[in-house]
Amino acid sequence: MSTRDSLAIPAAKTGAPPRDRGGRSPSYAPFLLSLALAALIIWSWTGSDIELDRLASSGGRIADFLGRMLPPDLSVLPVVLESSAETLRIAVLGTFGCVVLSLVLGPLAAETLTPRWLHRPVQWLLATVRGIPLLLVAMLMVGAVGLGPLPGILAVAFHATGMLAKFYAEAIDGVDRAPIEALDSAGASFLQKLRFGAWPQMAPDIVRDTLFRFEMNLRESLILGVVGAGGIGFYIQVYVRTFQYQKVATLTLVVVAFVILIELANGMIRRMLR
Amino acid sequence: MPGSAVALDNLSFRYKGEDRGSLAITQLRIEAGEKVALIGASGAGKSTLLRLLDGRLRAFRGHAKVLGRTLDPARTPSRAWRCNTGFVFQEFALVERESVRQNVLNGRLGRTHPWQSLLGRFSEDDHDAVERAMGDVGIDDLAGKRVDRLSGGQRQRVAIARCLAQDPALLLADEPISNLDPVTAQAVLALLHDCAARRGVTLLVSSHQPRLVARYVGRFIALDQGHVVFDGPPEALRDDTLTDIYEEAGPVPEPVS
Repeated sequence: MSTRDSLAIPAAKTGAPPRDRGGRSPSYAPFLLSLALAALIIWSWTGSDIELDRLASSGGRIADFLGRMLPPDLSVLPVVLESSAETLRIAVLGTFGCVVLSLVLGPLAAETLTPRWLHRPVQWLLATVRGIPLLLVAMLMVGAVGLGPLPGILAVAFHATGMLAKFYAEAIDGVDRAPIEALDSAGASFLQKLRFGAWPQMAPDIVRDTLFRFEMNLRESLILGVVGAGGIGFYIQVYVRTFQYQKVATLTLVVVAFVILIELANGMIRRMLR
Repeated sequence: MPGSAVALDNLSFRYKGEDRGSLAITQLRIEAGEKVALIGASGAGKSTLLRLLDGRLRAFRGHAKVLGRTLDPARTPSRAWRCNTGFVFQEFALVERESVRQNVLNGRLGRTHPWQSLLGRFSEDDHDAVERAMGDVGIDDLAGKRVDRLSGGQRQRVAIARCLAQDPALLLADEPISNLDPVTAQAVLALLHDCAARRGVTLLVSSHQPRLVARYVGRFIALDQGHVVFDGPPEALRDDTLTDIYEEAGPVPEPVS
């Protein structure tokens, strides 16, 4: 959730009750927490066998590495652009797939819509799906349906649903009931209540969440080719493993430009939504 | 209109595991065109009664006839009937992210074509009713504004316009002024009264401020634990009656006269 919170969008979840942060916690809790945190860092450091002198001597090698990237080899530009387009296609279709799945699972996971015996298991299911790394899913899908973009699309759709359905459920739970009751009082049908009462309240959240997930899908799809699930990841792997750094440079520039372009487009749409 | 707008006989209702808000009314009649204030302590049953008259209360016992239709305790009334009762909520109950015009238009949902409206298509009649309602409450100039940009008084005007757009025969207002400052409260009460009078609509408004409301109604009904404990003109409502009604609810509100 931290990624989403950091978007710092004024939450439209006014209907949702503020989460109880306690206040009953004893005063020594922060101290114990700091101790635990320190222990965690020390354990990570000592267990990783870090030799600082290797870091000190790395400067020359990095400079050498960067030097070999220049100038970028533009002859691979057509190949890189075509495989970037494939990555974009994977992200678009994968997002489409996870939207369809989330439209079903989101309402099922919504606490204000679905009884507890149903929404709890669905929430657990989504948490489990979120817990499986995309690359692992992609490898399983490659095993199931073979190489190419199809396993990539399936993997993205599956993996992203874990988060998007949860967001959809939160959007549904954030809907204020009072206006819907008012429409009921005015004689609105069930579909009218959905269309004029519930939808206007959650549509901006749904669209924003979907765009956000699309952006994540795109970035995560970049490496899918490493396991044979299509897109530009294949060339990332090939060029790096065969030390063709000038081609890696071209590829990096294209990927960066590509991601920035999509983020700008998303930002524009989000501003239109407010 | 022949017959009473509201006719209740031996009506009782109780929320599950809860005494607050229960109803026990032997007999109550409200004639068409009357303007009535409903008073009583919190939990005395005011909101429950208004919800009942709006057709939103199920599982009550007894006989309730509203606008010529006998309410069924087991079923939600039809769309056509529900438009006949307009409801003004204490918390406005507007769709905050939509424009004023769309919110007023929402009042037409019971009258308009159920499928075409889903595509955003409303009839000329609908648009005329919306214009008239917005004119009546004086919010024409706000039509394009989003509701979340409005003040409390403006919001309650929009909510009243939504009700008027329904073309109701019975206007129910559940503590419409308790979230408003005194000046705005006066204006909203006057507005409810004038709109009801101009359109010949029966008005039933609940409030904790008898003194404020008295100028705008011809009759007071007081509830205490679901029972009607006073029913008469504002002049007949004495201080000691008010004291009795509110004795368990802490400070006594200002007297009527």
